[in-house]
Amino acid sequence: MRSDGGQLYTIEGFAAALIMISTAYLVVNATSVYTAGDTHINDMQLETLGTDALTVMGTPMNTTEYDTANSTLRMILEAPDRDVMFRTKFLELVNSSGTGPKQDIQFVANYTCRIDNSDSTIPPLQPLSSSSRSLTGGEHPVRVTKWVIVNTPCGNETTRDRAVLVEVLLWRD
Amino acid sequence: MLAMSDDSAVLSIDFLVGFTIFLLAFIWVLSIIPGLLIGLQAFTIDYDAVAYRTGVILVEDPGQKSTNETSWEIATFQQNYNKADVLRFGLAVSREDPNILSLDKVNRFFDNTTFNYPGDYHNRSIFGDYPYRFNISLKYIGSPESAKSIGEVLPEGYGYIRRFVKIKSMSNATIDGSNLTFLNNERFINGDNTTRTHIFSILLNNTDLIGEGSLVKDAAYKIIPGKESFMINLTYLNQTIVNAMNVSQENCFNISLNNTIVSDSTRTITFFDPIIDEVPLHMTTPQPVKRNVSILYNTTANRRGLNWEAPQITISLIFNLIPTGEPGCTMGSRFLNNTYTAPFDYDNNPNNVTQPQLRDAVVEVAVW
Amino acid sequence: MARLNDDAQWIVLMGFLVSFSFFFLALVINQATVVGQTTAESVIEFPKNDIRDVRSIIIRTESDTIQKDVYAISLGRKNAVVYYTFPFTPCYGKYSCTQIHFKSGVTEYDENWTSP
Repeated sequence: MRSDGGQLYTIEGFAAALIMISTAYLVVNATSVYTAGDTHINDMQLETLGTDALTVMGTPMNTTEYDTANSTLRMILEAPDRDVMFRTKFLELVNSSGTGPKQDIQFVANYTCRIDNSDSTIPPLQPLSSSSRSLTGGEHPVRVTKWVIVNTPCGNETTRDRAVLVEVLLWRD
Repeated sequence: MLAMSDDSAVLSIDFLVGFTIFLLAFIWVLSIIPGLLIGLQAFTIDYDAVAYRTGVILVEDPGQKSTNETSWEIATFQQNYNKADVLRFGLAVSREDPNILSLDKVNRFFDNTTFNYPGDYHNRSIFGDYPYRFNISLKYIGSPESAKSIGEVLPEGYGYIRRFVKIKSMSNATIDGSNLTFLNNERFINGDNTTRTHIFSILLNNTDLIGEGSLVKDAAYKIIPGKESFMINLTYLNQTIVNAMNVSQENCFNISLNNTIVSDSTRTITFFDPIIDEVPLHMTTPQPVKRNVSILYNTTANRRGLNWEAPQITISLIFNLIPTGEPGCTMGSRFLNNTYTAPFDYDNNPNNVTQPQLRDAVVEVAVW
Repeated sequence: MARLNDDAQWIVLMGFLVSFSFFFLALVINQATVVGQTTAESVIEFPKNDIRDVRSIIIRTESDTIQKDVYAISLGRKNAVVYYTFPFTPCYGKYSCTQIHFKSGVTEYDENWTSP
């Protein structure tokens, strides 16, 4: 009968090889490469920024404005030069910062209203404020919205109190 | 007997069993190992999440005291403000008004003399076991005021969140002594040639201000004298010393403020800290007044001893006219006095009282 | 008998050493990026501001044309079903109540709102 004392060394070799290979595998697989975009943190920060800015614009400043359901945002929507007014006010808000980093935020704003005689058809987006440059598609915009009650016509409709949804696409350059 | 060949490659049963058990145990241990790493997370990557959470706590939550009240910035029933009572910071006016901050809470939060960085702030707004360092700042938008901030200077890399808010300003009322037409119309100038002691009263009618019948429904616009700061200014008092023909008798009398009492129709307390001629005083004896008196009830004022939610709170200032001894003067004079007429109504009428306004501001939280 | 050749044990030992040091390094350097991602994604996913926004409009609604506006635009642009009773029903004596329902496919919100 041949000697089988060497089997122990074989087993030892197997076991050691297994442990080493599995360690190397774990190590290599444990670290993962996340890009900044994968974490969505920037998206969250931008969305919070946008909704806060719209909320601040849409809040009445005092009890008189509250009683008449008026706010800066409503006044901008009912004004004839709403494009420029919205751009000025929104950029003033969004690019202001205290001790934090300066940011360069671009946006495109539209609003939606409903035509009276149809319950479900919504006309295409009415432009509110166009961006300072054309969209290339390479931006990663975040959409924020705000409801406002305004007294305006919608397209060719009559002027009445209506609820419109202001939508802003925000991105960082 | 024939010797077996060297390459039979037969392993004994013992070995197979042993190796199988080893393999099974090994694979099981391997599957546990990823769980070992969970407790060893690096703290660097959740800075943004912590900053966001702190931002939400500060901007959307009204805060909490140990008694479950949300007005943690004032001491209502204690003589001294006790910071140990504050469980959690929150700057919002109320739960229903996120993003609308109370000025009193903001002032108290950024007050270095009350709270210490980092311990007090960490336990009440940052939370977590790791000793994060942070910087929280607030700046009014469109105003040249410098930013308020607590914490350290920002380093190279940090987690960050920016929130926009509206800050509810303080309500105040000014009774202008130089506007005699208005004062006479409201019948605030009374007395005759012999009156020396004059009492001027201001009424805080809580039924109208905070009661159910109040016209102002939203806490963001209400005047809440029990929980928020308010200020009453009386200006140009010297010009209200007049005779029956509205001719000034300024040089005949010196004004002295004896006392300021506040009552809720069952209890009365004395207010010891008026601002006389723009100088804050702590008065226990009558003080001379040249022109202005301001009553400022802010977060440090002592409200103890009075039920500030009572239906009517009256603040009465007791003035005394002291003759200067000039010849040709009468014993007393007409003055700002509504003892027998109606008190000044501190209410929601913008003509009487400057209502709380909401001003834009930006709050930034940086954590590292 | 002759002693078996066990020089290879050194090689195995060194192999062990290297793999364990790899493991240690991985522990130290590993960035738990998963934490931030989950937090930010869950923040974006929950429609907190949408609900607050719609609620503030519903509370100020004064006509059923506004109600139709809210229904149609919510469905068309926000992909959310909104339902509420208008006119508000009287309840508890002098207050008025409304049932607010919001469903965005992922989140559902129901409230019985009482006017102050």
